[in-house]
Amino acid sequence: MRGYHDIGGNSAGPIEKIELPWQHWEKQVEAVRNLLGDATRRVLSLDELRLGFESFGADKYQRYSFYRRRLEAMIDTLEKKGLITRDELMEELARVRLEWRDPDACRPPR
Amino acid sequence: MTAAPIPVRYRVGDPVAVLDLGKAGHVRTPFYVRNRRGEIAQFCGYFLNPEALSLGDTSGPLVPLYRVRFAMKDLWPGEARSDRDFLYMEIYDHWLRPAPGPHA
Repeated sequence: MRGYHDIGGNSAGPIEKIELPWQHWEKQVEAVRNLLGDATRRVLSLDELRLGFESFGADKYQRYSFYRRRLEAMIDTLEKKGLITRDELMEELARVRLEWRDPDACRPPR
Repeated sequence: MTAAPIPVRYRVGDPVAVLDLGKAGHVRTPFYVRNRRGEIAQFCGYFLNPEALSLGDTSGPLVPLYRVRFAMKDLWPGEARSDRDFLYMEIYDHWLRPAPGPHA
């Protein structure tokens, strides 16, 4: 058994070294993951997340960046556990996106 | 967690070989060290098996985790490597077997 992610030892040729600073959304993904996995919540462990992106298919795995994989696996696993649906998440995203577009909507009501 | 911990089987310096358990799912032993020999460098403590954790099973038992030392020359025989280059990897007890005798 060798998973598509288990590529250690493959010949890769020369490796270009590029500094990739953390993007804000990537930090948010890690923050949410930590909250879901902490000792009081235990909603989703890091190993469940790993199983998620190690089994969602080589295509998706290779297409996505490190944090995008984690994000997608988080959504898949929360959906599998029946905690959220992708539709609910998309609705919420649309709602929040509107709020951010309209600064007045972000102000607390008087 | 109810089950008793899996007993520690190895001591520092013991020669071991990595098993190829052929497991599907989430495992933490990469392909390139399977069937390779190394020696126990350190006992890291007891941990829940990540293979079970990946399925949401936290019932145990706790499994000993070891830091295993591999000679880079053994891992990558075709390449020029110093005798002093080693790779250390944490491996769970159930992926190891005793491997006395000279390195293959």
